[in-house]
Amino acid sequence: MDDLFAPSDVSWTPVSPKLASVRRVNAAILFGVLGLVALLVLGMTLSWVYGVLALLVAVGGFAWSSALIGRNQRSWKYAEREDELLVSHGILFRELVVVPYGRMQFVDVAAGPLERAFGIATVELHTATPATDAKIPGLHPDEASRLRDRLSALGQAQAWGL
Amino acid sequence: MTGPVPGPSGQTTVPELQGERLHPLTPFVKGWGYFVVAAVALVNNEGLRSNLELAGLGLIAVLVGGILLGALSWWYTKWQLTDEAIRVDSGFLFRRTRIIRFDRIQTIDVAQPFVARLFGMAELRMDVAGGGKSDGKLSYFTYDEAGKLRSILLLRAKGEQFVEHETYQVEPEPLLVVPTNRLLGATLLSSTVLGSAGGLIWLIVATTVLDFHVGLFAGLPLLLGVVQPIWKQVVGNHGFTLSKTHDGLRTKRGLFDVQRQTVPPGRVQGLLITEPLIWRLIGWSRVELDIAGVAGNRDEGEDDREGAQLLPVGDRAEVAGVLARVLPGLDLSRIEMHQAPERVKWLRPIGWRYLAYGADAQVLVTVRGWVSRRTSIVLHHKTQSVRLQQGPLQRRLGLANVHVDTPLGPTDAVAVHRDQFEAAALLQAQADRAREASRTASAPAAVHTQPKPPSPDGSSSSEASPADDSSAT
Repeated sequence: MDDLFAPSDVSWTPVSPKLASVRRVNAAILFGVLGLVALLVLGMTLSWVYGVLALLVAVGGFAWSSALIGRNQRSWKYAEREDELLVSHGILFRELVVVPYGRMQFVDVAAGPLERAFGIATVELHTATPATDAKIPGLHPDEASRLRDRLSALGQAQAWGL
Repeated sequence: MTGPVPGPSGQTTVPELQGERLHPLTPFVKGWGYFVVAAVALVNNEGLRSNLELAGLGLIAVLVGGILLGALSWWYTKWQLTDEAIRVDSGFLFRRTRIIRFDRIQTIDVAQPFVARLFGMAELRMDVAGGGKSDGKLSYFTYDEAGKLRSILLLRAKGEQFVEHETYQVEPEPLLVVPTNRLLGATLLSSTVLGSAGGLIWLIVATTVLDFHVGLFAGLPLLLGVVQPIWKQVVGNHGFTLSKTHDGLRTKRGLFDVQRQTVPPGRVQGLLITEPLIWRLIGWSRVELDIAGVAGNRDEGEDDREGAQLLPVGDRAEVAGVLARVLPGLDLSRIEMHQAPERVKWLRPIGWRYLAYGADAQVLVTVRGWVSRRTSIVLHHKTQSVRLQQGPLQRRLGLANVHVDTPLGPTDAVAVHRDQFEAAALLQAQADRAREASRTASAPAAVHTQPKPPSPDGSSSSEASPADDSSAT
């Protein structure tokens, strides 16, 4: 049932669990700031009970999103077929993208400061249309540059033109 | 396709123009607004009436100065054709030389802004890869001269196409002319105008009869909604003419600013047929195109960004004829359409009946929308990527969407709410079809475009010239 978004005729590579770590740190910062602001504002205006309650809500929100992040990270996977790159992701809203190498215009490798600290990078394949959403986050930098080189080599070799 | 090139020198008996000037009326056409303002000011001038000579003299000085500046600018602007570029020298204080290499010119248009057209003049617009709007403008010439120069430039830029010499000057035989009254009728019956007009009438009735003050501010956007489409359609598409030329279909439209656009056959990425509710009863529809290198690249007007209009409004026979011109061998009625499953009605109570897709060896067709029905046609060998999507509600019903992505443009091919297994199969099939089509299409695709030597890097499969490729990034 589940292989609709991950056909089994290709070997799928999962992305690094560090992606979840990065996103959890992001979520922790967000919920931490929100919780602290709520604690201070509510505590100073109403009563500290409400403040602590708000903090607890923020902690709960973090726990929940943390679980979602884990599930979402496990859903990311990609596969290199002979002529196409396949990227599949999402739990609630699922998507499978099939991009022929020949359609590639250019490849981006990007890594923010947090991603760099955790040692991951994002590879994005661009075609002539922005609708193509072929982005693979959470790759080991070596794998990212391998993928970049391979994609650009394949893109050149199989270029379809417009 | 063509034999050995007889060498441009053999053909171009037109002598090399050594530093030609532009048309002498150029400063007037360029600065007509200034002249009008100055003239009006001169006539209505209080200073002249009350014999305050200083003010009058000042105005005259400004006017004369303007003429002088315009004339100087015209005098010092010269253009010439060299072996591999067109060279434009301009400016009398700050000299500027611009050299546009022929092989960098993507397209060349002859445009006629309103005032220029009154004087039978035209400007040449060269689309240069990576260049801005004003970079490749040369104005003004007489219309014939502009056409001739365009032919010469095209010849230099593209090489072997001699035949084109004739085609531009003579207005090609029109295949199809859209009458103005039909344009007007179609616009009046379109959903936006009807909706806005309905809202406006309700507003007027509500305020006058029922004494129910909604606020007349709401009327302004509604009025705009009525007037703007009519203006855009009737003025912008006035005298819409579709004709066949050597290098593709050419459209010509506009009441004040005549716009011409050529649709090279090999560059069509996708088509969109729109049929608003009432049009369907009459059998009218609109056809738009995605063209590579046009959408998102040129910034001359929104229509360029949106793609190209192939037919602002036409009946069924005309639409079929136009489609057959653009994509030979395409017959929409022969493509078997697959309806969406009935359970889609939980998500789209009315629209589910109209969701369908179909495919043949050449194209994928998707249909959706019940207020305004949109039929998207995508060529397999132009497919950029294929996506399978499923949201939580779709998941419960076992449905999924398949997107077939094309470059920027009006076409938006999505097979909405298919059975999920069917969708997965379609995704796979579409990817395969795209691959097959691109392999087989790379060979004969060059039939329509100019033949070109194989590129040194081996990527000879692209049917657009190397310069064209860069335009789509």
